[in-house]
Amino acid sequence: MESMNHGLGVDIAFLLLAALAVVTGWRVFRTDSMVRASFFLLVSFIAVGVIMILLAAEYLGVAMFFMMAVEMTVMALFMVMFMMNPAGLNPMNMVHQERIAIGAGVAGFLVLGAMALLAAFPDQPVPAGLEPVRSLGNEMLGDSMLIFESAGLVLLTTMIGVVVLSSHRGRYGAAAEGSMPPGLEPGSDPAGKPEEDEEGEHHHHHHHH
Amino acid sequence: MFSELFLPVLMVIFMLVVGGYAVAVLDRLVASALGTPQAGGIWLAPMARGAWLLTQHANATEAPDWRAWRLAPALYLALAASGLAVVPWSASLVATDLITSVVLWGSVEALATVVIFLHGWSANSLLALIGGYRYVALGLSYILISMFVLIGVALPAESLQFTQVVASQEGLWNVIRQPLGLPLFLIVGLGMTFWGPLNLADSTDLAGGTASEISGPPRLVWDMARAAMLVAFSGVAATAFLGGWLGPWLPGPLWMSLKMLAVLSVLLLLGRLLPRLAPERCVTLMWVVLLPLSFIDLVWAGAVALWE
Repeated sequence: MESMNHGLGVDIAFLLLAALAVVTGWRVFRTDSMVRASFFLLVSFIAVGVIMILLAAEYLGVAMFFMMAVEMTVMALFMVMFMMNPAGLNPMNMVHQERIAIGAGVAGFLVLGAMALLAAFPDQPVPAGLEPVRSLGNEMLGDSMLIFESAGLVLLTTMIGVVVLSSHRGRYGAAAEGSMPPGLEPGSDPAGKPEEDEEGEHHHHHHHH
Repeated sequence: MFSELFLPVLMVIFMLVVGGYAVAVLDRLVASALGTPQAGGIWLAPMARGAWLLTQHANATEAPDWRAWRLAPALYLALAASGLAVVPWSASLVATDLITSVVLWGSVEALATVVIFLHGWSANSLLALIGGYRYVALGLSYILISMFVLIGVALPAESLQFTQVVASQEGLWNVIRQPLGLPLFLIVGLGMTFWGPLNLADSTDLAGGTASEISGPPRLVWDMARAAMLVAFSGVAATAFLGGWLGPWLPGPLWMSLKMLAVLSVLLLLGRLLPRLAPERCVTLMWVVLLPLSFIDLVWAGAVALWE
């Protein structure tokens, strides 16, 4: 802080953004809708992204914006689709397994707090000639290329696999073909199914006799 | 302090106001040139409509998500402002010369998806919700096409900075160097501002889609934000493909304004001339035709960059 070229504005921005990240992160669990929870999380990540830009990680900070934007949109929509909560507007509880969560939260806070207080952080101002984007590119496509490329390939394969598994139209016809809705009572006939044509005809026939 | 902080902000606000007005006037000019009579004077009608919207009552629906509903138009306007902030007017006249400004524009496109969805979702109304879902389904393909096309212009510049992208077009503009780039990017522009043929989020078949339930000041902000986003997009398109401020005789900012106006006119003309696509066919078109074309554009750009 003594000789670095950042001013008071950067400190104020950091404090405001940190507060925003924590408050919206907390709101994720206090809100009652999956869509709201996802987008509160997005705001929290965006605040962290701006802090990363303040820390001269100009590519990673900006990349955080678009990655998290798409990720949170997809997450919100998938949660709405799989939770059968029409449009995600119905109120619902955002927390479960509270005891474990509280324990994990307290433990995480203590560990991270201890690290923040006790660890010896390096005190190195960003060198004047640093080109963060270029050095990141050299790192990712230089010595670590194999790791990043194989991780990318695995992720791409996973995404294609998920799309294939969840797509409605498959090689063998519609995904919903042959599936039955559950009954209204345990063990009863599938709900919302029209009377079987065959059965009706049989009944009719019987009546005639 | 003043020139560092306030001047860029003033510049962006000026562009938001002037740009929004220019879009409204240009669209009316295009419409009357194509034979659609326009009520009122072309120059005064946008202001009259704005003033009228300001005095109107803001509609309410049953149990909307008030905060998201009221914030979404303002956030879309803020995204347009972020886009305008990275558009360079000359080598030195640029609000924020971020070294990753190309990526920031990509983030604006991605966050626009969130904001448009939120706008449709938070109204708690059927047609608005369908509009929001439609945009998400299509927005993903717009983002991908835009990403490949923009990586293409970053390759010859060897930089993710728009000022460097312009500098790399000193000898040859990208519109010629990468012939597929600008047409694909214009389609992305119509998509992300849901304008004309790609207006599927706020379309008339959904009685206005995400904007079907808003009136009064929120609608004014939403309309202004869409116009401002179109201006920001034109700025990015002119920077990435038409050489930005480069040009003989005239000063740089003037060249930039002329190129932006040209892109805007083409977009507004397309918006008036082409019929709206059906959403399902639009998804197929994006993924089956345009996305592979954007791959070809990127491979082309890479080969040319290696050859040069």
